[in-house]
Amino acid sequence: MLRPSSDIRFRVLDGEAVVVRQSAGEVLVLSEVAARILTLADGSAPVAAWVDTLLAEFEIDRAELECDVLAFAAELAAEGLLEPVTAGPARQGAERGV
Amino acid sequence: MSFGEQFLHNPDLFPARHGGETWGEQELLLDLPGGPYRFAGLSTDQQRILRGRFGDFCLPDSGRRGAGTVAPPVTASGAAGAVISSLLLRIDAGAFRGFDLRGWEYRLDSDSSPDAVRLAGLHLVARLDWRPGLAGALWTSQGGGPLFAGIFENFFRVLVAYRLLELGGVVLHSAGVLKGGGALLFLGRSGAGKTTISRLCQEHGGEVLSDDLNALVPPPAGTPGKPAAGQASPASLAVEKLPFTGDLGDRRSRRGAAPLHGLFRLEKASDDALRPLSRAEAAACLLACSPFVNADPHRRAALLAAVPRLLGGTGAPPAFALRFSLRGAFWSILDTKCHPSTEAAC
Repeated sequence: MLRPSSDIRFRVLDGEAVVVRQSAGEVLVLSEVAARILTLADGSAPVAAWVDTLLAEFEIDRAELECDVLAFAAELAAEGLLEPVTAGPARQGAERGV
Repeated sequence: MSFGEQFLHNPDLFPARHGGETWGEQELLLDLPGGPYRFAGLSTDQQRILRGRFGDFCLPDSGRRGAGTVAPPVTASGAAGAVISSLLLRIDAGAFRGFDLRGWEYRLDSDSSPDAVRLAGLHLVARLDWRPGLAGALWTSQGGGPLFAGIFENFFRVLVAYRLLELGGVVLHSAGVLKGGGALLFLGRSGAGKTTISRLCQEHGGEVLSDDLNALVPPPAGTPGKPAAGQASPASLAVEKLPFTGDLGDRRSRRGAAPLHGLFRLEKASDDALRPLSRAEAAACLLACSPFVNADPHRRAALLAAVPRLLGGTGAPPAFALRFSLRGAFWSILDTKCHPSTEAAC
């Protein structure tokens, strides 16, 4: 399971996400898809559950969606925006969308 | 390098509270957004220098203890109207390290916690404390002289940035220009072209507020989303001039608030064009251009909450990426896209 990195704060505005990376002092804008994944990554639902949620929102083939979601999640994790949940309850730090 | 080491021989001796020997008995009341700001403990020389430096921003009864006439607040938040007090205190010049300033870009050193901010810089250490209201203290080794105004301003910039954030506004690294009854903000950090575009705007008849820092303040609570007298659009966000300029802008002349007619993220180019920014892009730009507070991990959440509010109201300003060249053709583009009469575009 994944959750927003403890290093980031984010807000969703009109679907896109504004992300502040604390340590680097960087500000990023994420696309609607990436923003949606960031909001689904709450540290409690597995990636498979994200796919179920998104399948209800988009008319798309499940296999294709799984590939896309995994690729996006991997990309966000590689960028340090998502981190694996290792122990304990979900963190409460991230700012949710408005 | 830990906090203060760059500037101080003994960072461990950083003052833990607002105390010590003041420079004198004089006071000064400055009328800036989020204020008024009262500075006590000034020497006569310091007060004279600051009066000269801040001109119209000095309230007329400055200098007397217990000055009671203050400017109206810029917002109607709970804390609006409060006088923000700071104390000027002495510190021995020997407390500071000496070093070669050639080729060096000056940055204040800061260290923050939820209820305090500590600052160290050239000839200064300072504190901002929330107890619970914001109050400041500036220790400097300069009782006057050519360095004092700059030392004071370095502290004052930070104080205003934190104060405005409390009120839901932001100080922005920007060029502020008056055009057609409203203000345009051209956003960008050092090197983005703020002074260049200010100069180009000036050549086309725009009045430059500041080519470095301007204040964006929210409307008073309860303000309806209707055009105010003299406003062509329902833009209720206001740009307020700050006496913090680079090369352009008359830092001594006070101006009233002007309705914001557009935000522009600067992009140097060989041509001139506008591209609308999404709200997220505009928010990212404001966040990146909010000095001091955006580097404070304890205030980023507040900043991240304030910026979408500024961009999300009834009078949300239009925001664009502005590619501009030295030819100055952007001005005519602004005329067609951002004139107050073309509300749909701007």
